[in-house]
Amino acid sequence: MSLLEARNIRKVYKTRFGGASVEALKNVSFTVEKGEYVAIMGESGSGKTTLLNIIAALDKATEGTVILDGMDLTKVKDKDVAKFRRDNLGYVFQDFNLLDTFSLEDNIYLPLVLAGKKHAEMKQRLDGIAGTLGIAELLKKYPYEVSGGQKQRAAVARALITNPRMILADEPTGALDSKSSDELLALFKKVNQMGQTVLMVTHSTKAASNASRVLFIKDGTIFHQIYKGQATDQQMYQSISDTLTLLAQGGDQ
Amino acid sequence: MKAGFYPKMAVSGMRKNGRLYMPYLITCILMVAVFYIVHFLGFSDVMDGMMGVTTAKQMLGFGVYVIAIFAAIFLFYTQSTLIKGRKKEFGLYSILGMNKRNIGKILFWESVVNWAVSLGLGLLAGIGLSKLAELGFTRMIEAKADYSFKVSGGSIVASVILFSAIFFLIYLNSVRQIRFANPTQLITAGKAGEKPPKSNWVLGIIGLLSMGAGYIIAIKIKEPISALMLFFVAVILVIIGTYFLLIAGSVILCRLLQKNKGYYYKTNHFVSVSSMAYRMKRNGAGLASICILITMVLVTLSSTSALYAGKEQTLEARYPQEIDAYMSNFGFDEELSQHTERMSRIIRNTTEENGAEMKNIRSYSAYSISGYLDNDVLETDINMVNGFQLIDYDKIVALEIFDVDEFNRAFGFNEKVEPGKMLIGTAKKIHIGDELTIGDHTFEISGRIDDKISAIDPSAAGSPIIMLFVVVDDVQSLAREFEGLPGNENGRMVSWSWYMQFDSGLDSDGQIALADKINTAMTDELQGKGYTLYYCESREAERDDFVSTFGGLFFLGILLSLIFLVSCVVIIYYKQISEGLEDQSRFSIMQKVGMTGKEIKNSINSQMITVFMIPVIVAGIHLLVVLPVVDKLLTLFGLFNMNLLLVCAGICVVICGVFYAVIYKVTSNAYYKIVS
Repeated sequence: MSLLEARNIRKVYKTRFGGASVEALKNVSFTVEKGEYVAIMGESGSGKTTLLNIIAALDKATEGTVILDGMDLTKVKDKDVAKFRRDNLGYVFQDFNLLDTFSLEDNIYLPLVLAGKKHAEMKQRLDGIAGTLGIAELLKKYPYEVSGGQKQRAAVARALITNPRMILADEPTGALDSKSSDELLALFKKVNQMGQTVLMVTHSTKAASNASRVLFIKDGTIFHQIYKGQATDQQMYQSISDTLTLLAQGGDQ
Repeated sequence: MKAGFYPKMAVSGMRKNGRLYMPYLITCILMVAVFYIVHFLGFSDVMDGMMGVTTAKQMLGFGVYVIAIFAAIFLFYTQSTLIKGRKKEFGLYSILGMNKRNIGKILFWESVVNWAVSLGLGLLAGIGLSKLAELGFTRMIEAKADYSFKVSGGSIVASVILFSAIFFLIYLNSVRQIRFANPTQLITAGKAGEKPPKSNWVLGIIGLLSMGAGYIIAIKIKEPISALMLFFVAVILVIIGTYFLLIAGSVILCRLLQKNKGYYYKTNHFVSVSSMAYRMKRNGAGLASICILITMVLVTLSSTSALYAGKEQTLEARYPQEIDAYMSNFGFDEELSQHTERMSRIIRNTTEENGAEMKNIRSYSAYSISGYLDNDVLETDINMVNGFQLIDYDKIVALEIFDVDEFNRAFGFNEKVEPGKMLIGTAKKIHIGDELTIGDHTFEISGRIDDKISAIDPSAAGSPIIMLFVVVDDVQSLAREFEGLPGNENGRMVSWSWYMQFDSGLDSDGQIALADKINTAMTDELQGKGYTLYYCESREAERDDFVSTFGGLFFLGILLSLIFLVSCVVIIYYKQISEGLEDQSRFSIMQKVGMTGKEIKNSINSQMITVFMIPVIVAGIHLLVVLPVVDKLLTLFGLFNMNLLLVCAGICVVICGVFYAVIYKVTSNAYYKIVS
């Protein structure tokens, strides 16, 4: 069974006074297997962030179901959603979403503290990943004291520390310079190789070329997908570019 | 550019920031209205000709200055927080091509609108409510108001001048704030990463010491006279302490809690403690201000209401009988008894001529001598006292010396005292040993008359000076000897007083008339003979003055409290709004990271309640410490009723508590609206 299964997802936004409605997602279905590294690509406004938010249970689909490891997200009660997200998903945002009132260490601990874990256990878990993420030296610092790349690595640590079933990343390199982007992508790859499932939304070809599979979304539907297979990053980059060109020219599947 | 562009920009700018501007405008209007009313009552001739209005008008005249100063400071402070919140907007204007002159013009028009609305509506409200205030005021001072409606041009002019000046200063300040910043600074203002709050131990310790010193002084004050002198020292120390402790101490506390891993890393504490540290760093000063304002309100209201409620008691204590005649002079007087007998006769005759009968007569004379009492020795030469300190005013005593026969006759006692010994009593809490040395004489104290003092002088407990009541065998010869004591170079160390108090059985007007007649008779007899003081007063004539004084004080207390409370509301409101805006993004992050709505709500609630309760709790402690001092100060007004003060304080605390709870509810709603 797939780790994540999205079936016939439709999302309609209504303007506030019930005027015109906009269909952000039309009929999206796809699956993610355990241990996969999937990228969802598309232009601004293609609906990719909406899709990710629905998967993360930050938003509700108008129609369709999302099943994570056998649990139907659309059936999780409102009051349990936050807890569900905390226990099962790790989220990495474009703008980091670190709390400026916490040191990096405390930011990373936040989901564990919410889950009621003991300090000793939290520390043990953080020690386990801080080295890999290269933030061991930065833990006592505050978000405003470190670079964007360092902030994003702390955010990844916060996503990983709960041992989530899946990492969701929304444009994780969007606010980073190219060097930091490369480092972060290498990190995602490493995390994925250690067995972590990653689902990433991006419009960066380079970011997507790291993934083992790329889904293309256009006008609210899945337009195309590419498997990396044995291809190198470079080859993957090329085929993504080709697809994007095709997409931009308005070609059909 | 089209005419009316700047005024239009100004109005639309204010309207868009309505959430911030409305409370400010309302405060301005209220300040103008209250200022007008107090000025109207205090300075215009609207109440002239009413009985006993003069003292009350003086109180209000004093209040006018308090209100003017407070209004200036508070409006200045509020406006500068407002401008800070709008820097981004002005930055945007300047990026869109406005120069600082243009922005200055917008600010100018905003000030004009502000000025016009505040003064217009404020004066309207003030004039509209002035009659109501006048009626309330006259009722409180028990004067009669007529039903004509008056407007005072002078008060309008005074309000316009004062508030025009305040708004002009505020305008200059906002221009200054905008001028020294470039557009990018303006735009990013408030977005710069904020350093985590540091524990400032120095400030915290200074605060603790200052608060402790203030408290100790307040607790150590035993006597009204030292209360009067040291009260303000204590108040200033406590204010400094409150500010420093709330600013630094609260951060230190949060930091210590964060160090305690077991406590800090709990769901309930984690978010609260860390954001509290930031909150307190930013809002410590605001909370301290709220705390001081609440304390001021509580002290003002409870003291003035206690005075007002206890005015009859005060009057009775000061004037135990309807008529009170008095004369006194310096030095030993060989023929004292002849003088007093003649005066008694004059008073008796005058009273009978007026068809009244003297009842419940208390008539007595006593010598008095004052000095510095230490170790059972009365030092009459103050220059001989070494190391004299302010707090030692508690050691300055006045001896009221009675002859034992006169004492027994006047008050109906049956005391006996042998030569060389004395009976002594005091209503104050001072130590008296087994003997008392005055000059060459050492008297053995053969008995205490503390329990009889209320019969002699009911107001003794509250006299500013410490009175020792002494009964001796032969006061005349003793007084003669005391004249030779050191420190009597000017011949004024020994003095005598004679009292004659009685009831007349006349009605109120009759009593007043009788006292006037006696006063005239006394003047005829004593004028030009070198007496220090002589008078005859009636309780009824003084009643108006008492009611007017205490009614005026209470009325002023209510108005001042109103202004303080409204200022408190405004500070709290702005605090909530600014925190709401800051917390908005924070809570959306927490939600994304996996905090449930309920957890967020709990965390908000616990923080808000803590932040709200801190000033109230601290104000409550302040009040507890300060009440005994207030009690002593009130004795200077002649009120000796700690219980009454406590009851009044209790009522004020309840009223303010309810008011505060309402503020909490309303402003926290504003906060929730922003956050969710």
